[in-house]
Amino acid sequence: MVDHLFRHQYGKMVAILTKIFGPSHLELVEDALQDTFLKAALQWRKQQPDNPEAWLIQAAKNRSLDLLRQIKARESRELEYERDNDLEEIEEYFLEHEVQDSQLRMLFLACHPSFNRAEQIAFALKSIAGFSQREIAHALLIKEETVKKRILRARQKIKEEAIKLSYPGPSEIQERLQGVAQIIYLIFNEGFHSNKPNQLVDKELCGEALRLAKLLLAKPKFRNGDLYALFALLCLNAARLDAKQNEMEILDLKQQDRSLWFRPLMELGQNALQKAFTTYEERSAYHFEALIAWEHGRAKHFDDTNWEAILNHYDQLCTILPSDAIKLSRVNVLIQVQSLEAARRQLEEINLKALEGRQYLYHATYAELHLMHKQHTLAQQALKEAVNFCGNDRERAYLQSKLRSINNLL
Amino acid sequence: MLLFLGPTYEELGLSPEELQGRMNKWFEWGAKMEKQGILRGGDALHGHGKRLSGPQRIVSDGPFVESKELVGGYYKIAADSYEVALEIAQDYPDFDLDGSVEVREIIQFEENG
Repeated sequence: MVDHLFRHQYGKMVAILTKIFGPSHLELVEDALQDTFLKAALQWRKQQPDNPEAWLIQAAKNRSLDLLRQIKARESRELEYERDNDLEEIEEYFLEHEVQDSQLRMLFLACHPSFNRAEQIAFALKSIAGFSQREIAHALLIKEETVKKRILRARQKIKEEAIKLSYPGPSEIQERLQGVAQIIYLIFNEGFHSNKPNQLVDKELCGEALRLAKLLLAKPKFRNGDLYALFALLCLNAARLDAKQNEMEILDLKQQDRSLWFRPLMELGQNALQKAFTTYEERSAYHFEALIAWEHGRAKHFDDTNWEAILNHYDQLCTILPSDAIKLSRVNVLIQVQSLEAARRQLEEINLKALEGRQYLYHATYAELHLMHKQHTLAQQALKEAVNFCGNDRERAYLQSKLRSINNLL
Repeated sequence: MLLFLGPTYEELGLSPEELQGRMNKWFEWGAKMEKQGILRGGDALHGHGKRLSGPQRIVSDGPFVESKELVGGYYKIAADSYEVALEIAQDYPDFDLDGSVEVREIIQFEENG
């Protein structure tokens, strides 16, 4: 059976059924579909259907007819879909282009301005990506109860504000697209920058982000430079996923087995990047983040890295998005090109509190800088701080071994 | 007879992805036993049911036991000994979900008593 068949079909079917019945019936729709998949999982143990996908689609169609009867009986006045339904009409919703359209509408629904960012992500992962509450909790490192509340709140808002499954108007579309891009970016990063033991979920998050970006780019009316750049960025980073070992980027890039990098994805990313820069005029943070990823990707060995070019991209990135995390990455590049004074100035500008879980990287960077100046005692102190703040076993072990080697020098 | 007990997938709130993963494990186990020619049938059971009891045949709605004791399904297998059956039951896929297997020998009635 196709990998992720259930999850992908679930996302599709939620979208189709939400289009038929309206987002206010989302809970009913999701419960009904959950039932369908439960049934399949048990029933197929005995006899697997010849065409699992067709079986699921037929089941979803049957489900929608059941639901239609249920909803009509219960609250016919509220039904958004008022025409007389028959199977034939329902069939139309299952046509491929209709399915894609429904999924895109779901994506815009997830990014509705009435939801806050946290609700948007939880909603998207649940109703579009087909994650369970537990999986979402695990992926976002939050409590299951919190996930539940966020999804509940989002569904409530849909009902209270009678939010429809419609595209935003032409005046709003660019703004909403930015929100959509950001959600995709965040979903990807949750997977890419995580140190969880369960790597499987992480890869799933990255894959889902890629799938959603592709879905948007398939529609000419949504294409823009930002989206191409975002897609490029996701491809170029995802290509390195199998080789990825830890969060300390430079160290990681040094250690990664570059033969594990997935070339087809890098080429896809490179093409998208080219399009983002040549076809469109606007430039976003995605453009320069993608360029940085591309520079890393094209270096055959770590020593071949064109740090000057990367520094240049970081300069541009910092102008657009002067975040502390990006500044910290830039410091590491400055160290690579031996601009130690500039590195020190940049480090002093960084607001440690804004780095949250990545404070250890700040201290590790300071240690690196001290080492370049052969100030071993200072480096030792900084490394101790880094070890204290580091939550990842593997990285802590690395920091500790580095600390030991300095101790030996003293 | 292998009786499968434990919480239902429904109450565990498994995602579609997890359901597919579970199903694949059951496929593997089923296929393995088919290949060995020892599988003699089986079914999955709905979590809910009714029970008739007492001389008055009173009907009650279940589940009747805690979910860890709920029978979710069964396989009939052919095994040369009880020990072999226990060995086969090792492959049951849902131990990690708090499931358990009860291995019971079906009484063979001899012909002509």
